[in-house]
Amino acid sequence: MEKKRPQLSLDELHQLKWLLGGGLTLLALSTVAYMEIEAWELMGLTSVCAIDCTLWPTLPARVPPLVHLLAFPLIVAVFVGDLWLTASPLPAMVRLDMLLLLYRSVSYRQRRDDLQVIVLGLFLIVVAGVLTVSLLFAAQLLVYTAWALAFLLVVTLVSSAEGPASESGKVKNVAPPWAVHADWPRLARRLRAVADWRVVALGGGLFAGVVAVSALLFLAIPRFQIENSLFLDRFMSKKVKTGFNDSIKFGDVTEIQQDTSVALSVDVTDRTQLPASPYWRMLVLDQYDNGTFKLSPILRRSAFGSERTDTIVHGEVRPKLGAAVTWTFYLESGVSRYLPLLGGFEVLRFRDHQNFRLGALVDVLALRDEPLTMTAYRVEGFEISDLLFDPKFPTAARRREHTIQTWINVSPEDHVTLDRMSNEIAGGAKLGAEAFSRRAIEWLRKNHSYSMSPTLPPGTGDPLVRWVASREAGHCEFFAGALVLLARNAGFAARVVTGFRGGTWNGYSASFTVRNSDAHAWAEIFDPAVGAWRRADALEIAAAAQGPETKSEAAIVARSDRSWSARLDSLRIFWYRRIVNFDQRSQLETLKEVKIAAQSSGQHLRDTVVGAMAALRAWLAAPWSFTRGVKLVAVIGVLLALVWATWQHGREVRRMFLRGGRGGCGDPVRADASRWLARLRPAEDSAREVCAVVGELQRLRFGARTTWPAPEPVFRRARQAWRAQRSARRRVSRS
Amino acid sequence: MNARDANVWSGPGSRRARRPFTWNALLWSLVWPQRVHRIVPTPAGVILFGLSMGIGTAAYNSSSNILFITLSLLLACLILSGVLSWLNLRGVAWRLQLAPPWRAGQEAVVALELRNEKKFLPTYGLWFSLAARVVADTRGFRPESTWTGRNLDVRKMLAQADAAEQRGQLALRTRLDPRGEARLEWVFKPEKRGALGVELASVGSLFPFGFLKKSIGTGLRAEVVVWPAPVEYQRHAVAAWRRPAGGERVPRAGSGGDLFALRRYEQGDSHRLIHWKASARTRTLLVRQFSAESAEGFSLWLRTDAAVWARPEQFELLVSFCATLAEDLFRAGRLMGVALDDEPPTPVRRMADLEAFLNKLALVRPRPGTTVVGMGAVEKQNVMIFAPDGARGVAAYVDGKKAAST
Repeated sequence: MEKKRPQLSLDELHQLKWLLGGGLTLLALSTVAYMEIEAWELMGLTSVCAIDCTLWPTLPARVPPLVHLLAFPLIVAVFVGDLWLTASPLPAMVRLDMLLLLYRSVSYRQRRDDLQVIVLGLFLIVVAGVLTVSLLFAAQLLVYTAWALAFLLVVTLVSSAEGPASESGKVKNVAPPWAVHADWPRLARRLRAVADWRVVALGGGLFAGVVAVSALLFLAIPRFQIENSLFLDRFMSKKVKTGFNDSIKFGDVTEIQQDTSVALSVDVTDRTQLPASPYWRMLVLDQYDNGTFKLSPILRRSAFGSERTDTIVHGEVRPKLGAAVTWTFYLESGVSRYLPLLGGFEVLRFRDHQNFRLGALVDVLALRDEPLTMTAYRVEGFEISDLLFDPKFPTAARRREHTIQTWINVSPEDHVTLDRMSNEIAGGAKLGAEAFSRRAIEWLRKNHSYSMSPTLPPGTGDPLVRWVASREAGHCEFFAGALVLLARNAGFAARVVTGFRGGTWNGYSASFTVRNSDAHAWAEIFDPAVGAWRRADALEIAAAAQGPETKSEAAIVARSDRSWSARLDSLRIFWYRRIVNFDQRSQLETLKEVKIAAQSSGQHLRDTVVGAMAALRAWLAAPWSFTRGVKLVAVIGVLLALVWATWQHGREVRRMFLRGGRGGCGDPVRADASRWLARLRPAEDSAREVCAVVGELQRLRFGARTTWPAPEPVFRRARQAWRAQRSARRRVSRS
Repeated sequence: MNARDANVWSGPGSRRARRPFTWNALLWSLVWPQRVHRIVPTPAGVILFGLSMGIGTAAYNSSSNILFITLSLLLACLILSGVLSWLNLRGVAWRLQLAPPWRAGQEAVVALELRNEKKFLPTYGLWFSLAARVVADTRGFRPESTWTGRNLDVRKMLAQADAAEQRGQLALRTRLDPRGEARLEWVFKPEKRGALGVELASVGSLFPFGFLKKSIGTGLRAEVVVWPAPVEYQRHAVAAWRRPAGGERVPRAGSGGDLFALRRYEQGDSHRLIHWKASARTRTLLVRQFSAESAEGFSLWLRTDAAVWARPEQFELLVSFCATLAEDLFRAGRLMGVALDDEPPTPVRRMADLEAFLNKLALVRPRPGTTVVGMGAVEKQNVMIFAPDGARGVAAYVDGKKAAST
């Protein structure tokens, strides 16, 4: 007899529902951790309450009835007060959501309360996803969906097992029987006993189907842009995490360098155009004052245009013949409001409207606000060079409009020190900007080594001058600052540029990844001979590395990153490319790609079949030998063996699947007889043959083994009878 | 909706529900709901739709792909809900099992047998709406249009129809295992005698997530006859019963020791009564009937003249009284025959005869337009007839003497 699987009792279903509800609450609360909302205490309290009440379900019975009475007025009052005090609607709503979750965690939930928990949790997940646009959201949403579906399933089962009358009349401060008898290890054992692996596998398969269908729906949902968009981040006050600002003290870039998280990902249509060691410039700092470089108001005024709101930014670079290389940037949140660029460009496109100011003369683009989410932009026609042409600068310098870029705000003693070092670099000769820059770099490399933990020598005066005069090690900021001071002291205009240098090629996503640890600072010295700002980096790996000869496939392959972190980064890139950055144009591109893929795969299939047929014909037409004969016989033998094995054991495998591993009718003959009996149900007017076959099948199914007829002939006759019945039924239905 | 035989398995898992597979039918079933299928969103479903609409609006308003992906996931969950609901109902068959006799005012059991034909998927959370309504005689009715029926009080008629109907709901509270069977019982009290139609109105489910309430009309219906309710009555001593003349015996079946006759075996007969030798000879199962030990008995003659029984409640009492007397007399072995109005008398020899009479009583209505026959007109021996006893009561008379009254 078939062994019957046990069923969960109503109490056990309640316990499972309680456990899933608690887990769902915790999952939703975890999103607050990276939402940058000041609710740590509330999150901690809610989490602790949710964990405790989930594990010990009798605890909610100890909550005084007065709390239930006052809960909702209090929550509403707290929300109104919060909104009034902070004037920030979204954080207040998140805190309200958490308060409601807290209350639902410490009280016994009915069906509508369970639904409320799901909706509250979904709100937190969606808000976190919209605010962060991170890959973590995708994982969290998937887990949440699966969990919520399981929760809803159990809620429905509980409702159907309880009946409609169970919803009312529950007392909140009395522990229900299921809570009193909760025993989680026992529940786990019961779940294991109840679970059927086929049903679980089907559930997993169906959920995979849900993900696939949602992906298809995501691709297929028609997109059109509605202007004047209402976005959640407008309801939040902005807060910069870290990154490049208008003013950088010594040590700021080093702090960023400690962080190995991804700052920027770049897609490029022609990867051979990628320099070996690209410099991603973000900000130009021209004013120096006691160890701090900052963007001077003069440069801000003169180099940057007025603020505009648009999706397209036209650069100073003239369009060239041929298709321009397109660079798609995905800048992570919290890095900076200054966008990394390789130099001047033809055109830059944002996904949404942005408020920005373009500094065309300094190749800097600044957004008005610090983006809280990933910012994607596409640039066409980069002009990559270590020279930044500035034809207006000599005239302005002559009119003494840019004296700030030549001014050194140090004491007379420090001036003397700088003079001494300048003479040492130039050797008393009058050098051009390029030569001075080269010699200064050599001098700095000779006297200072690179270190991420530099030490400033003690003493008075300007800290940077003290460092230059010493033989202490330093990092990029020191070297860049020293170069600027030495160049200015020698009479050249100079400034510090901050951004990133280098990066790695992700072999999985075919994109370029720049991490925060690639943060860098370098100097730019104005060369009057060419009328351009010349990049001077004392920490440049090799001067030749920027040459066009290194822009090759081999160079890219050589610096490809194929580590596990690169795999994770490729997932993030996929997320940005295919999900976050998906728009109407991407939709059309995807359609085209699907069409092309379908056509090419069809062609590929046809080619494969034609090729295989041709190979077979050629093989058959070739002269026969003993070896070829043996091969042919072996292939035929293997095929026959496969057919035989399928014939003999295929049904057993199928039966094993249908039995579900446990229980079931153990004897294959009895199982087959049972199957045929289920198919052949003799009616009153059945033929005598059908009745006879059914009798024999019943003997095989229920009778003692010693009384069995030979099974195979019985099954054959059963098959014939079943086919006859089926054709008769079809005839009847047609008539 | 055609009525189906309640005893035959019905539903998605029944043999008759299986049709030859065609792609055309599959596609149509996906885009066009079947006739008897109904899907209504629950409050949770309405919330989900509202949520989806809100997220969709926000997605278009903000062009946020995060919201688009949430929206597509919600829509995919709705599709999953439909698929799981279809899987849950697939392979499930049901049938009604009614066990007569049913009597007015006494509890009756409607059994619903369920079968899950699926190979490894269980079925959960089904409910079954059952209805029992009096089968109305619609022969005199004609269809009305809005114009011809403008004077009708439709609300009142509908309220009357609702009042004449009893509804019940059965729920499958446990898991119905694959290849498993279950039995649910609906216990209710039929209020009136007569023909009663018991219908499995719909099979519904909130499975799996409770967003949509799916119900399938089954059209599974069975008719049963509800016998009159038993009533309490008072017996009166009958002064002189007419006994047959000496040596005269009226042959009738009973529980005596003498063989009275042989008849065909019928379901319910005791196996001890089978006459094996005669059965073997005739190749048909025959059972023995014994003669009654007592020759004293009564015949019941029920006359339903509307002129006599003008009050409906008194008429109902009459029918119940007659049925109770018939049963009591049969149990005592004293019921010889029954007659209804002008029908020829029927001898009552076995249970089936009594049941046939009770079935008739269940459906009997006052007979209009007949002459009132005086009590003295009945001159037959030991015939029990009925007459009003005051304004409300009913009395039974034998040979003109009151034998029992309510």
